[in-house]
Amino acid sequence: MSTARPQLTPLLANRDLDRLARLRIGAARRFTNRSRGEHLAAKGGTSTEFCDYRDYSPGDDTRFIDWNIFSRLHRPYLKQFHLEEELHVAVLLDVSSSMQFGEKFERARQLAAVFGVLGLRAGERVSVHLVGADAPHRRLRPATGRSAMMPLFHFLEKVEAGGQQPIERGIETFLKNHTGRGVAVILSDFLSGGDLKRAFSLLFGSGLEPLALQILSPAELDPDVSGDLRLVDSETSAALDISSAAALLDLYHEYREAHQQQLAQWCSQRSGRFQTVNSATSLEHIAFDQLRRTGWII
Amino acid sequence: MGFTALSAAWLALLLIPLVIFYFLKLRRPRLQIPSLVLWQQVLADQRVNSPFQKFKRNLLLFLQLLLLALIVLAAMQPFLRREAARTEKLPILIDTSASMAARDTPGGPTRLDLAKTRARERIDTLLPGQELCLIAFSDSARALTGFTSDTRQLRTALDTLTVSDVPSDIEDGLRMAQALGRTANFGTVVLLSDGNFPARANFELSFAIDYQRLPAAGSNFGITAFNARRSVEGAWDVFVQVEGSASATPSSAKLELLRDGQPASTQSISLSPGAAPRMVFAVPGDRASQLEARLVIDGPDALAADDIAYLDLPAARPLVVNVPDSMQPWRHALAAIGGLVFAKKDADLLISDNPADLDTAAPTRCFTGLVPPALSDLLKIEPEPAEVIDWRRDANLLQHVELGDSIIMDRAVSAVGVEEKSYADRGFEVIAHGRRGPLILSQRDRASDTTWLLFNIDRSTLPYRLAFPILVSNLVQSALDRAGLAAATATKTGFAAPRVGQGRASLLSPAETSLAAVEQIQFNDRLSVTAAAAPARTDRPLWWPLALCAFALLLIEWWLFQTPRATA
Repeated sequence: MSTARPQLTPLLANRDLDRLARLRIGAARRFTNRSRGEHLAAKGGTSTEFCDYRDYSPGDDTRFIDWNIFSRLHRPYLKQFHLEEELHVAVLLDVSSSMQFGEKFERARQLAAVFGVLGLRAGERVSVHLVGADAPHRRLRPATGRSAMMPLFHFLEKVEAGGQQPIERGIETFLKNHTGRGVAVILSDFLSGGDLKRAFSLLFGSGLEPLALQILSPAELDPDVSGDLRLVDSETSAALDISSAAALLDLYHEYREAHQQQLAQWCSQRSGRFQTVNSATSLEHIAFDQLRRTGWII
Repeated sequence: MGFTALSAAWLALLLIPLVIFYFLKLRRPRLQIPSLVLWQQVLADQRVNSPFQKFKRNLLLFLQLLLLALIVLAAMQPFLRREAARTEKLPILIDTSASMAARDTPGGPTRLDLAKTRARERIDTLLPGQELCLIAFSDSARALTGFTSDTRQLRTALDTLTVSDVPSDIEDGLRMAQALGRTANFGTVVLLSDGNFPARANFELSFAIDYQRLPAAGSNFGITAFNARRSVEGAWDVFVQVEGSASATPSSAKLELLRDGQPASTQSISLSPGAAPRMVFAVPGDRASQLEARLVIDGPDALAADDIAYLDLPAARPLVVNVPDSMQPWRHALAAIGGLVFAKKDADLLISDNPADLDTAAPTRCFTGLVPPALSDLLKIEPEPAEVIDWRRDANLLQHVELGDSIIMDRAVSAVGVEEKSYADRGFEVIAHGRRGPLILSQRDRASDTTWLLFNIDRSTLPYRLAFPILVSNLVQSALDRAGLAAATATKTGFAAPRVGQGRASLLSPAETSLAAVEQIQFNDRLSVTAAAAPARTDRPLWWPLALCAFALLLIEWWLFQTPRATA
């Protein structure tokens, strides 16, 4: 007789947690910490995982000469191994008011849990930072190991949206409190009029590969508006009058796509990546299909 | 297309405040969105801020602009210019004669109804500044209104218009229009008629006539004559003539004769266009009678007024003749004519050669050998042979009378310088001329018809001629006619009795029964007016369709405004 395993967190199903155990974050560049970890660094190291051969140079450690090859070829070749270093996974969760629309914030919390679990399972240092909140900077301190999973879940379950701080200022605040190299997973709608280019540059300069995941609701991807309207910004309460909104939808889509292309370009120029997900899309599809196909999760 | 109040175009300037107020006070539903970033970029786009872009597909504003434009257009009072000439004052002559009651089909509209429809169309399309005057004419004309632009007054006057069962007299209507022309300046008169009036009008045209002939009515038969003559037996021979319109369809009918309200006789007749069957009924003359003839047609009949006629018959009594015993030739001739009674008093016919009888009253008198006292200074009788030069063969007394072979021994001689006109000036008509003066005079006045034979027949060969009994018979017939004993004729409708049956009047008009329509009216000055093929279309005011459209737009706008919008 088998008993059902209790649900660890309402954010992720146990089945999804099991599937995440076989995956890890596909960081393109190897911004890693010096401390040893399970993440393979770009440079050669002393791990047990073979990497390559190279010609022997005087002064090299003779312990790494492959004597079997020397006996056949009568020339010394050195065996090289991967250097396993620790990767810092910083998850930046946008909690501004704009994230309250639709299922955006719910999906953002779930994705934060996904990236956190991926990091912890891979033995990386994982920290979660809430950006966009009016309150002082809140974060889940960097932690490693599977034992940090439950604190991660508890932290994310208690988070609520409602701040009015722009995402770029939130990133600056995060960088003031952050040390370590790795990846910065930014979960936001990126609907900010601020200088996001500078924010990405700061991340890059701090040794963090920006992985910008834009979460938009269907109302933002394809607004259903018509007639004369007074649009009110949820964060700033600023109003904007528009007439014959339906006639402006083409322009809206044009500007939205341009905005996304601009963000993608800024990220790409800083060794980062960018993509947009629909908050109405299921987490399973986003995590195990969309992000895997784009190489964010491998 | 024209505009009556072009100055109202200034109202179009209201478009400017409308647009301003629209954008200032636009009631917009609030919609909360995550961020205005993208929308701000959209609104900052040059394409959005291009001129007129704000108006593009802005339905509510578009409707308001259209609404105001329609109101301004309606205020400018546009009209659609048609072929009819625009006049400020326009008299409309409407025929109300008997034939205007004719219908196409049983229960269908009468010609007057069609005329009213056309007149009403004129009233409905009355433009500001235009005035109409309605004139009804039948045998006489009357103005229903003066020149007025009060459409309610015009419509009310039109509604009260009814047909008079009398023949049409277009001249009276035209004269009334001419009289109106002395106080109002107009150039055209609209004539609405079925064309059933004389083709020639004795009238000097001083204005143009827009002759709008109404469509012809259907088949019609009616009574056109109803009279009676006394028969020899002391009874009445009653004659009824029935005629039809040229386009009438052959039909059968029954002609019923009622005497004092009781059926007296019925005859079946076959009717066809062009034929005028004359029915004869024998009615006893024992007492005065009120006759009524009814024509019952087995088929459609356009006009009902000519299907009934009335005739009052006096009792058929003998003619009372007062003739002296000394006038044996006269008595012999009178004795040969039946139905006479000789008496000295209350005579219907007095025949005398005695000057003492000149003052004796009688409806018909005949004096021989006497000179009228009124002409004693103009002629005298000489005992000389006279010769009959000429005589009026169409005079009632001398019909079929040959005087040329008679020898007359008395000669009337006119005084010097006296001509036939001199006798006419004193009320005498010369009906037989001698070489030097008149031989027979006729004098007619209200009291009597008097014939003066200016010779003594005893001194002539006339009693021995065939002409004498004929002359006596003509005299008796004239006396019978004068006394109402020979014939009776139905009273026709007229000014005093404009409806059939009113005062026992009858239509009895072959012209009205024929429903003939005159295509061209000929006037004195060789001018002619031809009927229009179709009624001239008048200028059509367009303000009310525009106002109607504006109202519909107002409803649409209200609906759009009240329709709930998507809100956050």
